Amino acid sequence: MSMLSSVAERLFWMSRYLERTQDTARLIQAYNHLIMDIPKGAEPPWDIMIDILDAQPLFRARFKAGSEQNVLKFLIADDKASCGIPFAVKAARENVRTTRDVLPEEAWELVNELHLFVEAHAGNASGRRNRHDFLSEVISRCQMINGLLGASLPRDHAYGFIKLGRLVECADMTTRIMDVGAGDIMERAGRFGAIDPLLWGALLQALSAAAAYRREVGPIVEKDAALNFIFLSSTFPRSIKYFVRETRKELMRLNNHDLAIRAVERLRRRLTRLDAEHFTSGELHDYIDDFQLQLTSLDAAIQATWFSWKNV
Amino acid sequence: MSKPWRRYSTGRFFDELITHGGSPRVAARRAVNFFKSLSADELRARRAAAELAIKEMGISFTVYTEGENIDRAWPFDMIPRVISAREWSGVSQGLAQRTRALNCFIDDIYNRQQILADGVVPAEIVLGSDNYKAQCEGVSPRFGAWAHICGSDLVRDHRGRFFVLEDNLRVPSGVSYMVENREITKRAVPELFRNYSILPVDDYPLKLYEMLVALSPRAARRPNIVVLTPGIYNSAYFEHAFLAQGMGAELVEGTDLTVGDDDCVYMCTVDGPVRVDVIYRRIDEDFMDPEAFRPESVLGVPGLMRAWRSGKVAIANAPGSGVADDKVIYAFVPDMIRYYLKEKPLLNNVPTYLCMREHDREYVLKNIGRLVVKPANESGGYGIMVGPHSSAAQHRKFSRLIEKDPRNYIAQPTLSLSTAPTYVEGKVQPRHLDLRPFILQSKNTWVTPGGLTRVALRKGSLVVNSSQGGGSKDTWIVEGKA
Repeated sequence: MSMLSSVAERLFWMSRYLERTQDTARLIQAYNHLIMDIPKGAEPPWDIMIDILDAQPLFRARFKAGSEQNVLKFLIADDKASCGIPFAVKAARENVRTTRDVLPEEAWELVNELHLFVEAHAGNASGRRNRHDFLSEVISRCQMINGLLGASLPRDHAYGFIKLGRLVECADMTTRIMDVGAGDIMERAGRFGAIDPLLWGALLQALSAAAAYRREVGPIVEKDAALNFIFLSSTFPRSIKYFVRETRKELMRLNNHDLAIRAVERLRRRLTRLDAEHFTSGELHDYIDDFQLQLTSLDAAIQATWFSWKNV
Repeated sequence: MSKPWRRYSTGRFFDELITHGGSPRVAARRAVNFFKSLSADELRARRAAAELAIKEMGISFTVYTEGENIDRAWPFDMIPRVISAREWSGVSQGLAQRTRALNCFIDDIYNRQQILADGVVPAEIVLGSDNYKAQCEGVSPRFGAWAHICGSDLVRDHRGRFFVLEDNLRVPSGVSYMVENREITKRAVPELFRNYSILPVDDYPLKLYEMLVALSPRAARRPNIVVLTPGIYNSAYFEHAFLAQGMGAELVEGTDLTVGDDDCVYMCTVDGPVRVDVIYRRIDEDFMDPEAFRPESVLGVPGLMRAWRSGKVAIANAPGSGVADDKVIYAFVPDMIRYYLKEKPLLNNVPTYLCMREHDREYVLKNIGRLVVKPANESGGYGIMVGPHSSAAQHRKFSRLIEKDPRNYIAQPTLSLSTAPTYVEGKVQPRHLDLRPFILQSKNTWVTPGGLTRVALRKGSLVVNSSQGGGSKDTWIVEGKA
């Protein structure tokens, strides 16, 4: 059975918003851990997270100072901020609400519960004491939903578009974190050399990559290996290489995929040009910038081919 | 007797669970005894469990005036209404009979108009009605079925007799709540199900599916069925999604469909256009097709009527079915049953005064304070005046309305609606209720076992519509001796 274009589009976005929720929660968790281990003065500023999410203008319109409290209020408790957790959860829920007929019945219950949980607790969760529990709960509820979908959805279009949404969002977040996070560490250029491994470790944490990295590369975290791992690991499911391969696979299963496949091929070619050892922080930034442009064109290709063909 | 039930009195009303003498009715005995055995704390805990279940299941409905706030928990009362299977079987036959006659009527009206020619129903009230759609003339849907899904409202009077209050033949809603209410009751009072043999209601989507499949213009094992919804801001959107999912059908909005040059209906999918065989429409016919009806409608599908008229797609309920869903036409349903089926009506109509008849009008104007006055062509409890509960100013206002447009008003005696024990503010108190069973008709006729019981949660109120602050209860049809 085929799938309505409008439904495919909503599933894609539901999946992106759920992934965004989880990724943002992980990012905050990782930063939180890091901050407690780092000597005062050496830590990256709190609003580096705002940079990662590309939300400075939005943030500055609401807050003057990039303080811990403000940044966390913005990301955890503000349901108008489009990069924050409550907004993403609400948007995911709106998309599930209108696609309930193709999802397992529990999907709505779980997403609704996640929404109710965030609504009830986000207000008290920006302080240090409750933050961890709140974020852990958000992450595990997202995982529960992913688990449900993974275990019970037939491998048809619904699954395909959900997977594509997750892959695209994950790649988007991974490149953002690498751009700002890795850039920040590299710019320090050894000023606080002793804590560099801590920072790289936190970066891997934020990408849920720490354990996988230890197993594949080893316990010592340093720049080149970390960059190579995040971009080129062929087994780690949040690596860019993995993203390109799986996206290609999903697209091949759909009709009329030429436009989107071409976009993926461009991404794949970009990937071969990564040179972790020799990139300066500026070169890394340009590289990721270009990569993100191609990601946007993939997004547009998906939109034009499967979601809004009727209007073309 | 524990405190929450203290001073429970049926008064002069027929109570669904308790006799005038104060003892439980036979079919309800176990349920009543069970609820009476619960302390105030336990009742509260059960109620909390039910509320949690509702919240988690996301049952919600919209009331138009509430604007953006599209979630509101559906008020639910956990004490079920119990009816014996023996009593229900008579009601069920009466409903099936009624729906068959109504479909004969609609099919006749858009084709030969025999019943008008024979003077059984006055032609002017049918052909002059806004609900009569000339665009439907000459169409003969399969099985002569137009109103495939009918939601009739039943009430009981002070003696416990069932009456049909109205037949909803356009886009009746509420069936999903019937199914969900059972689910919630199972979670809130699981013990009660152990000793009862209760007819299941959760196969409704399946029955609906079978009914719709029979309508398909193409012979296919699994025709393409869609549920057409006006969208997320419609009050019954939850139900549209619920039914689509239950049938494994696509839930579509107007923008998902197009009508091709071949007069076939297509849905826009990720693989391109796919032909649709049957549309279960939950959108008013006036908004269905801007080509045929309101040109400004953005909810509809241009060309849909063309596709339907040429038999390329089946639509349930068929456009034009509303011609029989009119409170004036209602008064003639018993005559239709005798005329088309040559049978005696099994279910009573409420005595109805047609204000268009001079004699009736005089009576209504003289007795307006004792009657319920209803516009002929509104649903959802809007525009109704209950005489005994209204002020003299309202009486005067409705008298003027009737004199200005007599065709548009009917009046009925104020019925003493039955009550049932309902948990309100920590006590069990009698509240008025009605019942909406659903009748499906295509190749066969099928009636839900029970239906949706709606209850007026305000003390003494007779208005049960969800849009007017009503709630609902689970309805049990129980077999054997309880």
